[in-house]
Amino acid sequence: MADMAAPVQVSQPVKYKKKRTKITTFDVVNVIVFTLIALIVIIPLWKVIVDSFNAVGVYQFKLWPTDPTFDGYKTIFTTQKLYRPFINSVVTTVLGTLVGLIMSTLGGYVLNQYDMPGRNAFSYFLLFTMIFSGGMIPEYLVMKQLHLVDSMWILVVKHGMNVYNLVLMKNFFEGIPTSLYEAAELDGCTPMGIFFKIVLPLSKAALASIGLMFAVTVWNDYSTVQIYITDPNQVNFQYQLRVMIMDGDTPTTAYRVSQDTLYYASIVCAILPFMAVYPFLQKYFVTGINAGAVKE
Amino acid sequence: MSGKSKTIEPAPTVQVRKKPLKVRIRHSMGFYFMALPVIIFVVLIYYWPMLGIRYAFFSYKLRSIHWVGLENFRMMFSQKEFWQAFINTLWLSTFKLVLNTFAAVVIAIFLNEAINLIFKKVIQTVIYLPHFMSYAVVAAIFSLFLSPSSTGFVNETLKSWGWISQSIDFLHEKSMWQPIFFAINLWKEVGWGTVIFFATLSGINPELYEAAKIDGATRLQRMRYVTFPALSSTIIIVLILNLAKVLNMFEPVFVLYNSRVYDVSDVISTFIYRKTFLQPIPDYGYTTAVGLFKSVVGGALMLGCNALSKKVRGRGII
Repeated sequence: MADMAAPVQVSQPVKYKKKRTKITTFDVVNVIVFTLIALIVIIPLWKVIVDSFNAVGVYQFKLWPTDPTFDGYKTIFTTQKLYRPFINSVVTTVLGTLVGLIMSTLGGYVLNQYDMPGRNAFSYFLLFTMIFSGGMIPEYLVMKQLHLVDSMWILVVKHGMNVYNLVLMKNFFEGIPTSLYEAAELDGCTPMGIFFKIVLPLSKAALASIGLMFAVTVWNDYSTVQIYITDPNQVNFQYQLRVMIMDGDTPTTAYRVSQDTLYYASIVCAILPFMAVYPFLQKYFVTGINAGAVKE
Repeated sequence: MSGKSKTIEPAPTVQVRKKPLKVRIRHSMGFYFMALPVIIFVVLIYYWPMLGIRYAFFSYKLRSIHWVGLENFRMMFSQKEFWQAFINTLWLSTFKLVLNTFAAVVIAIFLNEAINLIFKKVIQTVIYLPHFMSYAVVAAIFSLFLSPSSTGFVNETLKSWGWISQSIDFLHEKSMWQPIFFAINLWKEVGWGTVIFFATLSGINPELYEAAKIDGATRLQRMRYVTFPALSSTIIIVLILNLAKVLNMFEPVFVLYNSRVYDVSDVISTFIYRKTFLQPIPDYGYTTAVGLFKSVVGGALMLGCNALSKKVRGRGII
């Protein structure tokens, strides 16, 4: 087998120079293919952005708005039917992330106390929810009893507790050397003190990445709103976007903008918060999944 | 290295049960206090709804609730619509899973060969992007692009190239819906799917490549005999992890489907939704029964995958 490839390799007689990779056809093709793949991802997004600034809807793909206008965005932020859901989205995302982080750090920390009587029971109590669930309808009936139907707080409640993220947090805490705890205990630090003074400050990266996971989930949630909320004052932006575009329920007052401009501007608003921070926080976006999945 | 950790960790055999239970409980008071909000939350949103499962054996319309035994299940299993939804669920989610995983593996293996690290980084950044957009947004973008109106990107472009003469209403076409569904999901999730494979690839010992090179392996042979085998266990893990959740599909379908394509797109969750929230007088009992069926099958699937995962990698999913 080896001699098949051998003759190709021989053709570099003199070398003491640094190892320099030779660029082959393979590399060229590879670069071209991946550039195409990246374009497939980028072009739809670019078209959305460009068309959101275009006063007149066009079907072609343009690199730059031909007839630039900000009216799409102006309309969104002056129409109550549109900016109200946006504010709801911001509020629920912030609160949901906060509650989610509190719950998963508390639970993850307790789950790590192998000395605590009842620790295993607590762990089964949490893990059972990953195997079995009541289902959509019983959940709906419970939320109705809790008066959370038709209220945007359902988003905070539904996403505030996530067992998967809690386990991620626990895995992270496990990585903190036990010697630190012991030293703190010797110095007379209480368990709560250890949690606030040692564990949390050491977990900033984990908090950032799990916090982002919560934020993305709550911001992007559409189905919860679809199931639980009908009051237009309580819906979030994703839902409003969907209703406007797919069901054709455009706010009916006379606008100066074309329908398409408004649609595309709304899409941009719906993705803007994460697109804006993503390039800078990519590290945190990506570590969460790795921590969970490849930890051996 | 092992010597260092030895000095820190106490010998486990001596430590076990050194304090009586009472003392340990008193010691853990702070932890119980910390666990309390979590317990309340979990009971509220996970365990309380489980009590509602009893409605599966009742008829529950408006305010009248009465026992019907297994009638709901009999009705469910005799409905063609239900079986169609069940089959669609399995097909749509498993094929989506296999397709996305396969594509992600191919992308990871080839992008791993890129010489220019900046190029690799940029491509990664770009292909992860759609994952952070919601299904509602993705559906909105593609339904605008695929729309048969005069500003529909795809239709008008195809027309201007002379490939079609009449606009096609892609999302309302039964034969088109599934391919479009898979394509959109591929576009959204394939990049993100590569993250886990890149993590594995970064752990491959470079000496393996050197050794293969010395043995005369070509580039493609190295990819085939070094890179790919390194990924195989990760591939299996990804498949198992996701197989456990195949019945949960709701949002990806819900945002794209419509009454004209129910045959090819309806899944169990959307079926439950439709039979409850789009009925003038919903029978909560009946849809709870459908949900219970889904939960039981899903739970069994989860346990099966968990056992499989333990066998494959010595660690369960849950």
